[in-house]
Amino acid sequence: MNFLIIIKDTSEQSKNILQIGARVANAFSANLSIIHVGKKSKAMIEGEVSLARITMGEWNILHPGIEVLNWAYERLKGFDTIEIDPDTELKPENYVNHTKRITLSLPQSSGRDVKLILREGEMIEETSKDIDEFKYDLAILGCPKKKRNTHQVVQFFNTSVLIVKNFNKDRTYKIQLCVDDSRATKRAVVFGAKIGNHYKKEVKILTVSKTNLFKSGYRNAHRWAQKYLKRTQINCESLLISGNPVDIIITEAGNDHIIIMGKAKKNEFFKYIWGSKPIHVAQKANAPVLLIN
Amino acid sequence: MNNDIIRPLIFWAQQKRWLLFAFLLGTIMYWLPYPESISISGYRTLILAIMAIILIITEPVPLPATALLIAVLEVSFHIAPAAEVAQSYMNDSVFFIMGSLMMAVAIVHQGLDTRLALGIIRFTGNKVSNIVFGFALISAILSSFIGEHTVVALMLPVGLSLVRNSKGHRDITNLTVLILFSIAYGSTVGSVGTPSGGARNAILIEYLKNLPNPIYLSYSEWILMAYPMVLIGMFTTSIMLKMAFKPEYAHLDTAIRKLKIQVAHRGKITGKELLSIIIFGIVFMGWILLNEEFGMGIIALAGAFLYMATGLVEWKDISKNTNWGVILLFSGVISLGIQMKNTGAAQWIGNSIIGYSGDAIASLTFLPYFINILLTTTLSNIMSSSGTVAVIGPITLNMGGDPLFMGMTTAISSAFGYFSAIAAPACMIIYSSGLVKVSDFLRAGWRMGIMSILTLLLIQAFYWPFIVKFFNIQ
Repeated sequence: MNFLIIIKDTSEQSKNILQIGARVANAFSANLSIIHVGKKSKAMIEGEVSLARITMGEWNILHPGIEVLNWAYERLKGFDTIEIDPDTELKPENYVNHTKRITLSLPQSSGRDVKLILREGEMIEETSKDIDEFKYDLAILGCPKKKRNTHQVVQFFNTSVLIVKNFNKDRTYKIQLCVDDSRATKRAVVFGAKIGNHYKKEVKILTVSKTNLFKSGYRNAHRWAQKYLKRTQINCESLLISGNPVDIIITEAGNDHIIIMGKAKKNEFFKYIWGSKPIHVAQKANAPVLLIN
Repeated sequence: MNNDIIRPLIFWAQQKRWLLFAFLLGTIMYWLPYPESISISGYRTLILAIMAIILIITEPVPLPATALLIAVLEVSFHIAPAAEVAQSYMNDSVFFIMGSLMMAVAIVHQGLDTRLALGIIRFTGNKVSNIVFGFALISAILSSFIGEHTVVALMLPVGLSLVRNSKGHRDITNLTVLILFSIAYGSTVGSVGTPSGGARNAILIEYLKNLPNPIYLSYSEWILMAYPMVLIGMFTTSIMLKMAFKPEYAHLDTAIRKLKIQVAHRGKITGKELLSIIIFGIVFMGWILLNEEFGMGIIALAGAFLYMATGLVEWKDISKNTNWGVILLFSGVISLGIQMKNTGAAQWIGNSIIGYSGDAIASLTFLPYFINILLTTTLSNIMSSSGTVAVIGPITLNMGGDPLFMGMTTAISSAFGYFSAIAAPACMIIYSSGLVKVSDFLRAGWRMGIMSILTLLLIQAFYWPFIVKFFNIQ
């Protein structure tokens, strides 16, 4: 599997995203790519900016984006989840400059690939290009400041998305599996079970119906999830609640659950106009949200 | 329809919304009845200009694509025949932009930045206020001759190295911002000093030549008119910056010592470096003495040729590092500017603005200049300074006031991009370094903005009438 971590800067939040991303990748023995999308200059002055970057390179002043990636690499070395040879030195000249995409592959002792990627432009657009081209299975990122951007990330990233929201590294997180009749529910259950199993986390299965009557699709999905978790020997709590799905999912999760749910099957056009359950959960939740494609 | 088809479509539409908006607006305007006071080709040129401005500011398509669209629509809207459009895409100012961009690559490749670093250290010593003044002064003087983009490429590594060398246990946010802004604003202030300071100056000279009563402004006449702005600007820049950002240190002993060690290995000036300076000297003399006979563009191209012929720079370096797309865009926008003049669209907009201003323009002679400055400054902070003159030059020349003064006002005020990171390459680089915040641009920018606007209005009102009369500039 290939996972992608998106980091914005060298802040504490980015460190948390890296840490949680590295841990999730570890659970799946996935290859890890770390992408930073830097600010793009106006096309009108792009040439002048790149000319200045040539001279700055001669003074060993790195592209700010490469400094962010170097920082990420150093943090990654510090985590015990990913094995990186501590003697591996990161040299700017090792970065390979493809058109509009700079990459560096790191040799690793565990056999998994770790790749650093730098792009310039608008985050959602550039990351989408990378996701479409390199077929990542999961994108991990911090919560965008604007609700509209969260909406776009969930809808337009053609992969599963983990939004690291309100993450506290000292808190012990449990898993809340939100199960309904959407096509991605089964994959969400498998994903959640794997994380739960690897990190010995408690799992809560939650199915919410708008009415008191639970449709057969909902009941079957819930039963299937229970059976699957039992088979994988994970202790789980099972909840069937009626009410507003988004509100209940958020209330039940509080701030100490990782919410895992499938992406909606709704028509993409209507989703763009009105959003969807997963989009609203990602926008309003106070905890990390993992949406499975 | 399948979601896998709809999703990319919606995403495309979301990314290209400004392109769709521009086309929708263009289509609606095309079918709307147009005012009687403008010709049909003028009206269509106006539609094209609005579409081009939207596309240049929002960049939903690469800029060269916008340049191609301008050519296509100029012909298909029957604004001008294909042969005329093709001809308008290549002129002396486009040659100048091409030549100066190529020369910038050649100069930057000579490693003159370390020489500059040594020069600055010797000139300023280790006192912070002197360093800031020195950076602003040298950036301003150099950028007025060799172009803002070249100076930025040469000076910023020096400034950033000094900042890096100054980092100790104490927070040096203000010192960092102060040093970086002194280079960015210094080179911006200087870029208006001569026609070779920036592409926008050459474009404006081209527009002045194309007026119904052409004005031929020579290289030295431009210097006479614009250099006081540079002289005042370079002295006030460091004062304004020090008012905005109080540095944490008064002296930078260690940082300067480290910088000296960094550049000491270069030894004495090499033959190549000397040759590079001599070639630029020849080009500069050519601009002053032969400008009227050959045009600035041909002289700049000759300079680029000399750099390649002497082996100072390889073609592949020039080819790789020259922004050909921007050259194509300038060709397109200048062509649009020429058509705005030919079809009367520029005149119509100018007359409309004068009409809206009513009697105020007649009683307040500074008003057209003031409106011009506000319009140009605003646009240059949104779109970048170089593009601004190309787009609105033909309009401001027809907005009342003396065309020469209005043109110079447009060119100079297009450099007032102090408020945003996108107006000038220097501002963009220091912003993308992460060492400068958006709020820093406003904190320093409003002082610089007010000072520059007042200086320009005073120069326009008192200095230009005198100098034009004295030297018989026309």
